Amino acid sequence: MIKVSGVTKTFRTGSSEIQAVDDVHLAVQPGEFILIFGRSGSGKSTLLGMLAGLIRPTNGEIRINGVDIGNLSDDKISELRAKEIGFVFQFSGLLPTVTVLENVLVPTLFCKNSPGSRSRALELLKKVGVSDRADAYPRTLSSGEMKRVAIARALINGPSLLIADEPTGDLDVDTEIEIMELFRQLNCEGTTIVMVTHNPDLIHYGTQTYCMDRGKMVKRPESSSFNKWEPGPDTHLKPKDVP
Amino acid sequence: MSKPPDFRFFSLIVRNLTNRPYRNIATVFAFAIIAGTFFSSQYLMSGAQQSLDTGISRMGADILVVPEDYAGAGQTVILSGTPSSFFFADSGFEKISRIHGVAKASPQIYIATLFASCCAAPVQMIAIDPERDFTISTWLKKNPEVKIGKDDIIIGSAIIQDVGKDLMFYGHTFHVVGVLEQTGMGVDNAVFTRFEDAYVMAAESGEKAVKKLTIPEGMVSAVLVKVDPGTSPAAVASEIMTQVPGTKVIMSNGLLNAVSGQLGATTRILYSASLAVTIVSIPLLGLISVMVAHERKKEVSILRALGASKSFVVRLMLAESFSLAIIGGFIGIGASAGILMIYQDFIRITLKIPFIIPSPTAMLVQGGSALLLSIVIGGIASLYPVFLITRSAPYETIRGG
Repeated sequence: MIKVSGVTKTFRTGSSEIQAVDDVHLAVQPGEFILIFGRSGSGKSTLLGMLAGLIRPTNGEIRINGVDIGNLSDDKISELRAKEIGFVFQFSGLLPTVTVLENVLVPTLFCKNSPGSRSRALELLKKVGVSDRADAYPRTLSSGEMKRVAIARALINGPSLLIADEPTGDLDVDTEIEIMELFRQLNCEGTTIVMVTHNPDLIHYGTQTYCMDRGKMVKRPESSSFNKWEPGPDTHLKPKDVP
Repeated sequence: MSKPPDFRFFSLIVRNLTNRPYRNIATVFAFAIIAGTFFSSQYLMSGAQQSLDTGISRMGADILVVPEDYAGAGQTVILSGTPSSFFFADSGFEKISRIHGVAKASPQIYIATLFASCCAAPVQMIAIDPERDFTISTWLKKNPEVKIGKDDIIIGSAIIQDVGKDLMFYGHTFHVVGVLEQTGMGVDNAVFTRFEDAYVMAAESGEKAVKKLTIPEGMVSAVLVKVDPGTSPAAVASEIMTQVPGTKVIMSNGLLNAVSGQLGATTRILYSASLAVTIVSIPLLGLISVMVAHERKKEVSILRALGASKSFVVRLMLAESFSLAIIGGFIGIGASAGILMIYQDFIRITLKIPFIIPSPTAMLVQGGSALLLSIVIGGIASLYPVFLITRSAPYETIRGG
């Protein structure tokens, strides 16, 4: 479904260069729940941005359902993103000027032949547990409710992949568990998920877990020793390690 | 066939506009000021021009001959209706009638009245010779077949009285038999009577009026001249001034120049106001645009992450900007048109210009051009946000918090 081969991203600021992602290889199969851990600045969010086609790799190739997204025009990659990828951000990312229901429907504007409709949006809001807030504006919701709405919005076009960038980073522990259980439920129903987080307590939610360190994808430790684990040069994932 | 979406592009625009009221009201206000001042300038100039065209064409005369010292007063009588009394020898009229190229000549006597019940201010009474007059009958709006008889008057459109009712001037009672069509010129405030009745009114004024009126026998105030077809009015005018010393001719182009001169100051003020408003508004709109651009960078980045293409974002930004420009334009034009129509007489009197409400077609053109100006400025104002937003890296903006 997703094949990342030797992807590198270098940011240039003035005369200095920052290697945010360095020779990353990754494969994501349908139905998987991929968790990518890493400290702040390890390059995991840059990798997610590249998977979504929002950041162009400096080198390497990213294929989604066989399509090399590096060669697509802005219109084509936007179309692919609208149809195939649902996005959940660290913050809610809801538009303040439209209601909860309309927020869920916004992605249908960008997707030709979207299955999204008012009734489907209401169904999704029901599924994530906020159908009673359909006509409310985002400013009246709690953080947890906003996150649930953002998840419903990410699913409206029936994407094959859900990308989540530290979706529980701003939530309290109880709400974090509720949201992660929701992700697990969606994954059990067949949604492929790629999520990045810096919280090792979430490791058991993933069907595959990876770590990033200084731009490199590294082998993950056993969950029991995760908190004490320190990546080293020998843990760097090579192409042969990727299925 | 795919079903229509439950949430449309237009819905997003409407929501974005209605749910950011303060910023958008400020923007709409700026557009309203720009469109309103531009429309007002166009409207006043067009109204004055149309009034002049209508008035001059209805006057039916190519040349107006007045005493040399009263050329300015003659123009004022025609253009703004400011009452005035002046005379020159009737013999001049006979000479004018005989000049080669003169097809018709009609003498008039101008009398400034005292206050009358009809009017807030003295009006211009114009005595005519019905046998020789070739102008009044073509202007009649009400009772067009009427012949002006003993003690009858025909009144301008601004004189408040109905046909069949009486009006009193210098203690003499006149009977209203006709009302002229509106021209926006001085004739709207004039009252037309016969020479004979004017002389009787003057004779009786010593006893009946608070102030005695004197009309010198054998004198007239002005002579309207229509030239033969194919004859140059300028040549005839020159001949009149040569053969009848002490006279001055006023031609339609002279009236146009006079009006242009009067309008010039007004239009300069209006254009300066338009320019000043535009100069002030564009930086204001630019400032609002920059604020909008920075405020909406994150929102637009979210839209991009959800699948919006750059072209969608550009369309959204432009559509919102154009919507504000159009709303502001309509409000500005509508408000200006309303104010200008309501205070039409006040404006005409204050600015001392002939004025009638422009035709619907002219108003549509003026409104359209004012709206277009708003839209163009709206487009220019949205260029920076569009540039900034399309150049920004969406994912970095989103991650920026």
